[in-house]
Amino acid sequence: MKLQKIKWITLMFALGAVLMLGACKKKVAPPPPPAPPPPPAPTASLSASPNSVPKGQPTTLSWQTTNATDVSIDGIGAVQPNGSQQVTPADSTTYHLTAKGAGGTQEATARVTVAAPPPQAAVPSATEEELFSQSVKDIYFDYDKADIRPDQRAALQGDAQFLGQHPNIPFKVEGHCDERGSTEYNLALGTSRADAVKSALTQAGLPANRVNTISLGKEQPFCNEHTEECWQQNRRAHFVYQK
Amino acid sequence: MAANADIFLERGNLGRPLAWSLALHLVFAIFIIVYAVFIPEKRGEGWGAGGGGEAMGATLVSNVPLPANPVKTENVLANDSRGLTKSMPLPEVKPPEPEAIPIPDKESKKKPKPAPNVSRKKPEPEQPVEEASNVIPFGQGGPVSGPYGTFNAGGAKGGFGFTGGGGDFGNRYAWYVRVVQQKVSANWLKYEVDPRVTSGQRVYLTFDITRSGEPSNVQIEQSSGVPSLDQSATRAIQRIDTFGPLPPDYSGSKVSVEFWFDYKR
Amino acid sequence: MNRSKFKVDIRCNPIHVAEVQVTHRMSPRFYFIPQTRAIITSLLLLILALPCFSQQDWIRTGTGLGVEKIRLAVPDFKPSNQDPKNPELLKAFNDTLWNDLDNAGIFDLVSKSFNPLEVPGQPTEVKFEVWSAPPPNASMLAFGNLGVSGNTVMVQGWLYDVKNVTSPQVLGKQYTDVATTDAARLIAHKFADEIIFRLGGGVQGIAESSIYFVSDRTGHKEIWAMDYDGSNQRAITHLGSISLSPRISPDGSRLAFSSLTKTSWEIMMYSLELGRAVAFPRFGGTNLSPAWAPDGTRLTFSSSRTGTSEIYMVDASGGSLKRLTNAKGPDVSPTWNRKTGAQLAFVSGRSGLPQIYTMEADGTNVQRMTDQGYAVSPSWAPNGQFLTFSWMRKYGPGAPGSNDIYLMDIASKQWVQLTHDGGRNDFPSWSPDGRHIVFQSSRSGSEQIWTMLADGTKVQQLTFTGHNTQPNWSWK
Repeated sequence: MKLQKIKWITLMFALGAVLMLGACKKKVAPPPPPAPPPPPAPTASLSASPNSVPKGQPTTLSWQTTNATDVSIDGIGAVQPNGSQQVTPADSTTYHLTAKGAGGTQEATARVTVAAPPPQAAVPSATEEELFSQSVKDIYFDYDKADIRPDQRAALQGDAQFLGQHPNIPFKVEGHCDERGSTEYNLALGTSRADAVKSALTQAGLPANRVNTISLGKEQPFCNEHTEECWQQNRRAHFVYQK
Repeated sequence: MAANADIFLERGNLGRPLAWSLALHLVFAIFIIVYAVFIPEKRGEGWGAGGGGEAMGATLVSNVPLPANPVKTENVLANDSRGLTKSMPLPEVKPPEPEAIPIPDKESKKKPKPAPNVSRKKPEPEQPVEEASNVIPFGQGGPVSGPYGTFNAGGAKGGFGFTGGGGDFGNRYAWYVRVVQQKVSANWLKYEVDPRVTSGQRVYLTFDITRSGEPSNVQIEQSSGVPSLDQSATRAIQRIDTFGPLPPDYSGSKVSVEFWFDYKR
Repeated sequence: MNRSKFKVDIRCNPIHVAEVQVTHRMSPRFYFIPQTRAIITSLLLLILALPCFSQQDWIRTGTGLGVEKIRLAVPDFKPSNQDPKNPELLKAFNDTLWNDLDNAGIFDLVSKSFNPLEVPGQPTEVKFEVWSAPPPNASMLAFGNLGVSGNTVMVQGWLYDVKNVTSPQVLGKQYTDVATTDAARLIAHKFADEIIFRLGGGVQGIAESSIYFVSDRTGHKEIWAMDYDGSNQRAITHLGSISLSPRISPDGSRLAFSSLTKTSWEIMMYSLELGRAVAFPRFGGTNLSPAWAPDGTRLTFSSSRTGTSEIYMVDASGGSLKRLTNAKGPDVSPTWNRKTGAQLAFVSGRSGLPQIYTMEADGTNVQRMTDQGYAVSPSWAPNGQFLTFSWMRKYGPGAPGSNDIYLMDIASKQWVQLTHDGGRNDFPSWSPDGRHIVFQSSRSGSEQIWTMLADGTKVQQLTFTGHNTQPNWSWK
C-alpha cells in the first residue's frame, strides 16, 4: 500500500513537474517579433491604342507596372513588367492584366472594340471566293498591246456587273505578259494592261479607289511552254480575290 | 448677110490691118528672140550644179575631182576579215639632210641617232625601233580599241614604223608613243570625211601632251586640202581625254606630237 | 633677203618665225646699219629660240602604224623565299594576274609554252634578247616575285619594254598585305590595273570593279554582287520578294533597285556602307529601272504613278520629282550619257513595239535611234559615242527570233551586231573602261551572266547556278 502511494505521489510529482515545465516553457516563450513594414502594393495600368478597330486590324496594347515581379495578360501570357504588344482580336475583347508582387496583386483592364462587321460577312467564305473565280473572268490581250480587244468586251462587262453587285468584295487586277520580251518593258506593259482594265471598270461605274492594280510583267507566268497558246495564256489581266 | 456684104465692101481697106498685123507679128518675133537670148542663164543655173545632198557633214570641196562611184557607207557591219592590205615592207633608213639650224640648240645634243627629217613634204618612215614581224595588218572589225574601227569606211593605211621625235622621248618611251598612236587612230572616225574624197590624202596635225596626259593646242600643221579630212583629224584628237600621264621619270613638262593621218579608201 | 640664215627650226616656234621674217623685211631702219641689224636680229632669234633650250620633245607618228595589240609576256612570278605558304599564294596571284591581263582586251599575251625555261624574278635576271626574239616575240614583259614572311606577303613587280635595252623600265611596284589568298588576288588585280593604265592610254583597268545582278538561286529574286571576273558572288538583299534592275551609284556607295511590295513596285535604296536599306520615297504604281546621273546627284526612273509608265527624275534622296516624258505608250529603262551628264537614252512604246530614243536631260529633243523590230535595254558607252542595247530585228507576233546585243554609233546611227550565237541576249552594260560589255544570255539553256569585249569577241560565262539576269557594271 505504501508503494502504491509512493508511485502515485511520484507520478503526481512527475506530472506536476512536466506540467510546470511545460508551462514554464510556454511562459518563457520569447516575445513575438515586431511586425515587418508592409511591402508596397504593385501598380498596373493597361491601355489599347486604338481601342476601336475594324475587324481584322491590329491594335497595340501598352502596359506599365511597378513593384511587380509577375505580370501576365489574359490571352497573351507572361509579359515583361513594362511593354507593348500588337494584337489582332477577332471580336471585341477586354484584356485583363494581372500584376503580382510582394505587396499584393493589382489588376488592370483595357477594352478593345471590334467594329461590327459589314453587313455581308467579311470573313471570306469559301463560297464567295468560288463565286468570284467563277464569275470574274480574266481579260486577254494581243501581243505587245494593252488595249481591250473587241472579243473581250463582253467578259469585261460581265466582270464589271458582278463586281458592281458585290461592292464589298475586295480584289486586285494583275497585269501579265508572255515570256518573250524584256523584264523591264514587260513590267511597264503589264501596268498598262491592268490600267486599261481599271479604266474600263471605272467607266462601267465602279469607284476608282476600289480597283487596285499591279503589274507582274513576266515574273509569274501561268504556263511555261514556248508556244503561242501558252503565250496567249500569259498575256492577261488577272483578277485576284483579296482576302 | 449685111455683114458679109460689108466685108466684101471693105476689101479695099485691107492694107491698114495688114500693116498692123505685120507690125505686131514683128514685135512678137522680136520679143521671143530677146527672151530666148537674154534670159536662159536663170533657167540653166538650176541644172547640174553640185549641191551637198547627203554628204556626210562636209562642205563640198570644189578642187577635188569627183570620183565616178562614191562608196556606199550607209550600213557598215563588222565583218571578220582582218584587213584589206598587208603592212608595207620596211623601207631603208635614209638619213635626211637636217635643215640649217645655226643656233646651237639642244636638239643636236639630244639626238643620239640621226634626226628624222623635218621636211613636211615627203616624210620618210624610219626604220622602226620595234620589230615588225608580229604585225597584224589593219582591217575592219578590229579589236577593242576598235569598235570605233568598225565604223571606218576604209581599209589600211600608209607606211610603217614610227619615229622617235625631236628628243629622245621616243627612244626612251617607245611604249608611250605607241599609246598615242593607237588612241588617235582608234578615235579617228573616217566616215566623217566626205565620201567623194579620193585616197592618198594626208593631213599633219600637231598638238601637245601635258604632264597629266591631256592633249592640248591642236593645230593643223599641213592641211591635206580636204577640209572634211582636216576636220575629222582634229576631232579625233579632241575626242581623247587623256593618253595617260607622261612617264614619271620624264623631266619635261610636256611633249609635242606631230601626227599624220593617211586617208585611204 | 637673207632668209636662209635666219631660218629657225620651226618646231620651236612656228608662229614666231613669220614675225621674224616680216620684221626683217619691213624695218628699213636697219638698212643703214648692217651690223646693228645683224646683232639685233640674232638677239631676237636667241630670245625666240629660248623655248628651244627648254626641253621640247617631239613625237612623230601617224595612222597606219604599229600593231593593234601589245604583245605582252607574263611568266609566273617567282617565290622570293622558302616560306611554305608561298605556293598557294603564288598560284592565286599568277592565275589572277594572267586572267586580268588576258581579259583587258589590249594585249596579245605570249602563250606560256613559249616562255624560256628560266624566268626572271628580279631586274638583274632579265635576258632581253631571249624575250624579244621568237618564239616569245614580246614587246613587253611583266615579271616579279612574291614571298611570305610571318604574317605578311610582299610582292615586287616590274613591267619592262624588252625592246629598249638602255631604259626598259616602265613600271616598278611593291605591294605588301596580309598573307592570304584573297590579298594575293587583290594585289594581282592592282598590278594588272597599273599595267593596263600605263599601256592602255590612261584608262583605268577594271580588275577591281564589280558587277551587280539579279539571282534567284535562293528561291527569290534578290540582288547579288560579284567581282568583274565572276568570283566572290554574294547576296546583297534578303527581301524575300522580287527585286529587279540593280544600279550602283557612281561612287559605289549606294545600290538602287526596284522591288515588289504588297501593292506596288517601288524604288529601294540600299547603302552598301551601312549594310541596310535607307529611306526612299514611295510613289505608288510601277516604279522601276532606276539610273544614276554620272555626278551621283540625280536619278531617273520609270514610274506609272499617273497612268502610263513615264520617265521621271529625282534627286539622290528622292525629292524634287520631275516628269520628263509625256507620250502614250510605256517609257522605261533610262540610261545616262555619262560623258556629258546631259542626255538620256530610253525605251518607248509610243510607236508600237519598243524602240530606243534619246533626249536631253530636261526631256526635250527626243530622237528615235532604232527603225524597226523590238529594241530594249540601252546602255550608253563611257566615251559618250555609242549605245549598246538588245534588239530583235524583224520581230513580229509569233516569230521566235532571238534578241542579240547590238552596238550603235549615236552620231551616225550605224550599228554592228555583237552576238551571234543564239539564245536571248539582253541587258548589256558597259564596263568603266569602255572595252567590255556584260550581258545576260540564255544560250547555255538558262539565263546567265556573260561578258565579252566590245567588239563581240572573248565571250565568257560568269554565273552557273540558278537564273542570273540584269547585270550592272560598277563605275570604277
